[in-house]
Formats: sequence, structure tokens, C-alpha cells
Amino acid sequence: MARDPKYDILFEPIQLGPKTMKNRFYQIPHCNGFGSEKPLSQAYFRAMKAEGGYGACCTEYCSISPESDDTHRVSARLWDDEDVKNLSVMCEMLHEHGALAAAELWYGGPHAPCMESRSVPRGPSQIPSDFEYLTYAKEMDKDDIREVQQLYVDAAIRAREAGFDIVYVYGSHSYLPQQFLTPYYNKRTDEYGGSFENRARFWRETIEQVREAVGDDTAIAVRMSCDMFMGDAGTQLERDCLPFVELCDEIVDVWDINVSGISEWGEDATPSRFYPSGRLLPWQEAVKKVAKKPVLGVGRFTSPDLMVDAINSGKLDIIATCRPSISDPFLPKKIDEGRLDDIRECIGCNICISRWEIGGPPVICTQNATAGEEYRRGWHPEKFDTAENADNDVLVVGAGPAGMECAMILGKRGMRRVHLVEAADDMGGIMRWIPQLPGLGEWARVVNYRKIQIDKLRNVEFIPGTTLDANGVKEYGAEIVVIATGGYWVGDGLNGCTHDTIPGADASQPWCLTPEQIMRDGKDVPGARVVVIDNDGYFMGVSLAEKLASEGKKVTLMTHLGHIAPYMHFTLEAPNQHRKLHKLGVDIVTSHMPSRIEQGAVVATHVFDEDGHEQTWEADAVVLVTQRRSNEALYRELKDSVGFDTLRGEGITACYRIGDCEAPRLIADCVFSGHRLAREIDSENPEVPKPFIRERRVIERELAAV
Amino acid sequence: MKIVVCVKQVAVLGDEVEFTDDARDVDPDFLDASLNEWDSYATEEALRIRENAGSDGDEIVVVSVGDGDVEPAMRRCLAMGADRATRIDHSGSRDPITIARLLAPVVNAESPDLVFCGVQSSDAVQAATGTALAELLDLARVAVVTRIELDTGARRATVHRELEGGLVDVTEVDTPALLTIQTGINQPRYATLRAIKQAEQEPIQLVAAGEEGEPAYRVRRMFAPPKGEGAELLDGSAADIARRIAGIVQERLK
Repeated sequence: MARDPKYDILFEPIQLGPKTMKNRFYQIPHCNGFGSEKPLSQAYFRAMKAEGGYGACCTEYCSISPESDDTHRVSARLWDDEDVKNLSVMCEMLHEHGALAAAELWYGGPHAPCMESRSVPRGPSQIPSDFEYLTYAKEMDKDDIREVQQLYVDAAIRAREAGFDIVYVYGSHSYLPQQFLTPYYNKRTDEYGGSFENRARFWRETIEQVREAVGDDTAIAVRMSCDMFMGDAGTQLERDCLPFVELCDEIVDVWDINVSGISEWGEDATPSRFYPSGRLLPWQEAVKKVAKKPVLGVGRFTSPDLMVDAINSGKLDIIATCRPSISDPFLPKKIDEGRLDDIRECIGCNICISRWEIGGPPVICTQNATAGEEYRRGWHPEKFDTAENADNDVLVVGAGPAGMECAMILGKRGMRRVHLVEAADDMGGIMRWIPQLPGLGEWARVVNYRKIQIDKLRNVEFIPGTTLDANGVKEYGAEIVVIATGGYWVGDGLNGCTHDTIPGADASQPWCLTPEQIMRDGKDVPGARVVVIDNDGYFMGVSLAEKLASEGKKVTLMTHLGHIAPYMHFTLEAPNQHRKLHKLGVDIVTSHMPSRIEQGAVVATHVFDEDGHEQTWEADAVVLVTQRRSNEALYRELKDSVGFDTLRGEGITACYRIGDCEAPRLIADCVFSGHRLAREIDSENPEVPKPFIRERRVIERELAAV
Repeated sequence: MKIVVCVKQVAVLGDEVEFTDDARDVDPDFLDASLNEWDSYATEEALRIRENAGSDGDEIVVVSVGDGDVEPAMRRCLAMGADRATRIDHSGSRDPITIARLLAPVVNAESPDLVFCGVQSSDAVQAATGTALAELLDLARVAVVTRIELDTGARRATVHRELEGGLVDVTEVDTPALLTIQTGINQPRYATLRAIKQAEQEPIQLVAAGEEGEPAYRVRRMFAPPKGEGAELLDGSAADIARRIAGIVQERLK
């Protein structure tokens, strides 16, 4: 289909200094776990977005020196000529698709722990990082300032050599140039501290020097945070940022505008739980009014109408996307081709970001199972080989995230017939009720996208309202059977802390409840006082606590962990979730594990109390968020009672299980599990994932080269 | 007891549509096909009547008009549980009167106790074939049926038919009769892969088309309707927008 003319503006070229970007789709700098040391994974990952229509793609933050070493997290690096060679692959592949390549030159100052290089970072003042423990910077004297500026210049020259078209002097997220601009970090009394002119001096000089070195044929980008949300101490729009834009507009080719510092950068990379698309537009618009140069910025844009509106209303010139480009690298192309219902919209869960926060495993995505797998598994998000065993019929039992994904990909791989059979009256499994938790509405996109795709696939049939037992599966007539019956929250308090049930926990009692009972079955939560027991540590416990407190209950949230929902620190949801629970008056009890539960009370001890002092919390209702287990009854019946040999006699050549039915996991991993099986349904043993390419040093190869 | 279910394989539009060179039809390259939704309910209702009666002697016969391409829809009915299928070989006009003329002798030859048609087809949406067929067969006809209570012994059925505005007309009809079946009367069953495979192997009886007569209408031209003047986008708070909409509605009602 053709592009709707109302989106034409998104496909108009734009000039960035000496470079022309072919359209308005820009992949903002973002991490992927590959850096400079997994160069092919890096190149294939970025190039997929260029193939999908992005006009420019950037590296993640790209360190300019061993003094700015973020290990344990993974950044790109331009420390030496070897890094140049490695990152040049990315540039070449982007250029093949007509996209510009950008490098986000980064110096972390006190935030860089230098755990690999063991160097000492330099910073404007000697105050330890508010982001990284035990990390101090050396306070810079004038020589240090000259030397660090030279590091930027040298790295910019290396970036140009690698083939980058755009180089950043990156400040936002509280990195060095912005530290100089910000009183919170900059306590200097010399000409680099104090007044605006002084605080802006380091950044302006650095931009000038980088421009002098490479600006004749390389575009200079500046990424600035326009509000750190910390009052006078932080960078402020009117006082600092707009004057800085006016001061430097002449020497900058493109402005990249966002908000937040590093310690709460969820205000920038906003989880959908708290913010809709376009949350940064007020700041971007303010800069756009002052700047003569193009302004780009993120806002988790997935809707082309919002994108067009942002441009037409004078808030942005270029639509930058991070998470939506991970979720769908072909976002621009699908808009161009009028295929809006094929867009795999980002759900804003931030599971991608969690991987960087954890310390750099490869990026993952709830919506896009192929994210990060472009090189190492050779997966393309939009292209599917016809399976070698495509003449088989497949029965997928269970239409949760894993089953939906598996059926969809099997359909795209051309299996003769795929039947997706579901006990409930619609698709979604757990994703029918999880999006009804507070703030998680956008997570329903996991279901919506797949529903639309499955509906389009003529070889995939969805069969609701049908519960199959082992005999039903045996008689169904499929050659391949995939069991995706999901999992459930236990009702007896079994948990990963004591590795035992909690005495007295019994969800068959009216006062004791599991998440499914509340959200799916509508079981009434009796009384006014509720204790939510969370041994899970991610979103379920806090979401239920928030829901029940919003409904007027007096909620106690108890966990054996040192923090509630520690995984939400990685997804950047933690700070605002804490604020919400605090505002709702939820009583938070950490480091406590129930020793027993009875009607009316939860009795718990402190996990580090060796003497076993018990404390009692009165409770009219107890919610058990202790652990999940697989719904594996059907699989066990097929394997243990009927037996795979008998199934083979019925023409069923293989029976697999995927998702929570095998072992409970993240939604993203359920989707991956279904996708992986479908991608490898014609491999020698689809049950076991095929080996993936590991980008690593192979010593034989290196020794042979000596 | 014998029930004849008249079914149609309907065309399903994809995202894009183009017309044939003579501009009298949609280019088949842009069409998918499926069993008409109403006919799946009609087939299911026939299957349920047989199951409720518990009589093995009952027979359900599916009849359709068209060329070999329409057989997948018929096989879907066989996979659901229909006993046999008859295709009236025809590739000419598809207007409902012509189709009814072609169906009539074949359905008549079956001497059915009940004839089911879907209320309408999802592609042409004319809702005329069933009524025309009843006229040609001189059968009592009840349209838009949402419930059937059959008294086999008395050869009579109590039938609910849907009227506008949520009204239901409860009426009695002697059999044989022709009923046009509305969606929602039941929940059509799904065919297992095994049933689908078995249905693929079943023979479909082919009969030559009889006299089709003059078509009820001819298609002169198909075209995309010209674009209107565009929509007015309302801006503001929910209350503002609601007030504006109310104003526009009141204005148009004048």
C-alpha cells in the first residue's frame, strides 16, 4: 500500500551541517550490550534499522578514553585504531542502506567506575557519583581540562576515520560537559564554575575544538538535558539550557534534547507505567523556538500521527526513537508503505533498558524477539524462510505470549496449517489481565499486534473456548504439537526464600488470594487490611499493592528482599513506583519473611534475625506473590501417561513445550521461547536451541596470526 | 429428518483493492476466500439439531453454487460434521436470484425437512438468496432466525426471529420450511486438523447447473467512492469535544 500523504513530512530530507539525512527518522544513541567489542552484532543490529528505513543510526554512548570506562556496563569505545576498525563495520553497513552513522562521544567523569581500565576519571569537582558507588573523580585543573578536551578531539578524529557522519559532544544524563554546566556537580570558583558563562565554558570550548578538528565534513551534535528535576542545583531550561543553545547554536549542527540526570533517567526513558508518548515535547519545543539548527528528540513515538504533529506544530524537526526502534526496526518503512497495523509498537516496559542496567547482557525486547539476534542467530524481524517441514500441520495449545508468537511465526514460515487452540474465549493468556494492573495498559500491545498478524495469516487458525486433554491432543490430527499452557502463581506460599511453603498459606480460603484470583477470576479481597507478600521482586507485588491501596485498602507490602521490586530499578520504574506507593500510604516492610499465616494475621521474622523474634501484622486478606509454577499437566500427561511413542503411532512426530509452561520467565522470554522454536522448527532437534555465534577471541586463530 | 444447508464461499477483502480491467469486479488477486460467516452458523445449527435429536438417520447436506474454487468452503462444512456436499457447477452471474434459481431444483430433489441459508453473505450483503429460494420452492420462510425449537413429531418449529430495535418475534412454522440463520444463534464448532484432513478426502457431488434465466441485475461499473471533503478534527477537553459533537448532531437533525 502507498504511504498516506499526511505522513510525507516524515520522509523529507533534512540538512545537518555538511550532511543530508534522507528522512526524519533517527535512531537515538542507545545501548545494546555489543559496544566495540562485539562489532558484528553491533553492526547488524544498527543496520537492521537502516534497512527498516531509519535515516540515521547512532552508537550507544561511545567512550573517548580508558578514563571513561563504564565496566560493568557495556559502552562503545573509540580508544584506539582497533576500535576504529571494529566500529567502521557498523558505519559501512549503515551507509549501504543510505543511512547516516553517528557516534555519541562520551566522557563519564565521576560516574565511570573504570573497573576494567583501573584509570582515574576526571571531573569538575570532587564529589562522589550519585549513580555509581565508591567512585570519585580527580578534580580537574586547567591542564586536565585541556587534556580531556584533547581526548574529545582525538576521539572525534577517530570517529570520522571509522566512517561516522555525525559526532556528539554528549552531555545529558549527567555526563562531563553537562556536569560543568550544572551546579549540582560543578562547585568550581575559577572561570569554569559559578556564572552561566563560566559553567558553559568547558562544553562550548570542547564543541569548538571538535568542530575545528572534524566539522568541515562531519556534523556536530549536542545532546543536552533541559531539566534534571532537582530544582536550582540541576540544569534548568530557562537559566541554563536556552542560553546555552543561544551561545552555541552557531557551532552546533543538530540539537538532541531530553531531560533528567543519570540517577533517575527513567524521567527520560519513560516507562509506559508513568508516561505516555511525547512526554519530553515541552522541553523540545522550548529549544526549537530558540534554535536555528534542527532539533531532534525522543518521546517513545510509535504513532505516525504524533510524529507528524510534533513536526508540524514546531516542537521537533527530527523524530528520534530508541525503544520503538528496538521493538520495530521497520517502523519507518511500515509508515512509508501504509502498513500501520503491521507496526510492532513498543510497550514501554523497559526490559531492554534493564539489560544495560544489569551490566550489559545483549538487549532484549518483549515485542521483538529478534532484537539483538540479527547477527548471532541470523534472525530478521520481517523475513522468514519457508520451513523445510512446512508440509506439517501444527497444533499449538495455549494462546499466551509464547503460544501466540510461536503460532504467528510458524504461520509466517509457511507451515501448512497451524491451529492455535485456547481454553479462554480470546487470545492473550496472562496478557489479558496483566495490562489491567495499574499503569500497564500499553502492555496489551503484546496481544493486539499478534492478534492482527494471526488474523492475516491464512494458514493460522485461532480456536478459542476449547480445552484439550491429552486424548484431545492425540486425536487432533497434527504432526507437530506445541504445548504453551503457561504458568500460575502458587497458592501455598512456596517461595524462593525458604524453598518451602508458608505454613497456613492456602488460596482456597476466602481471605488468601493469588494474583490470578484477584485479576482474572474476580475473587473478592475481604476486609480493610491487606498484606501482600512479595518474594518475586518484579512488578506483580507492587502493582497489586498499588491497585488495592488505590481501592482504599490499608496495604502492607512485605518482602524478604532488601528493597521492594528490585528488578524495577533496572527498568527505571522503581523511583516513581516508590513515590506512588508512598503517596498511597502503603506500609513497606523489607527483609521480612512470614513464618506462618493464619486468618487475620501474618507472622513474620526479620531475615537476618538469628533469634527468630516474631512480629505480627493484622490482616483481613493476604495476597501471595511468592512464586510461579508451570502449568505442565497436559505436557506431563502426553509425555508420561500417553507416551511419545504412542503419539508417534498417531502421526505426531514431535511434542514441544514453550514459555512459562516449561519454566516461568519474563514475558519477553516467553515471546522469545515461542519465536525460537518456530524459527528452528525444522532444525535437527528443535527442542534444543541451535548454537549462536559467539563473538569472542578464539586463541587458535590469534596464535596462527602471530 | 434431512436438513439442506445452502452455503457460499465469500470473498474477503485484503488491505488493498484493485478492480478488473473492465471495472466490473474486484481483481481476484486482491481477494481471499472463506466460508460465509452466516453459513457457518447455519451449518452448526443443523449439526446441533441432529445431535439433540440423537437420531443417526438424520442427514445434513451442504449445497453450494460455483466452480471448483468454492469447494474449500464446502469442505469446511464437511469437516464440521456435515454428511455430504453437492456443488452446482456454475461460473456465470452471481446475483442472488440466479443463485436461487440454480439451487431450487437441486434442493427440491433432496426433499428436505428443513432448508437453512445464512441471513446474508459477508461480501455481497444482499440477504436475498434465502427468500428467493423459498419462493421458488414454495416453502414457508422465516428470516433472521436466532432460535429454533423443533417438534419433529408435529412437523412444526417454534422460531425466534430478530427484529429491529432489539425486538424478537416468536412464531410457529410448519415444516418443511426455509429458515435464514442469523449469527449468534450458536457458537460454531471448530474443525480439528484430523477432521479437516478427512474432509479433504471426501467426494463432493457435482451436478450440472440448470436454467439460470435472466440475471436480476448487471454490474455496470465498480469504483472507489470519491473522497469527501474531509473530516473536521475537534480539539479540546473531553467535555468541550462532547459539547461540540452534541451541537453538530443537533444542527444536522434540523
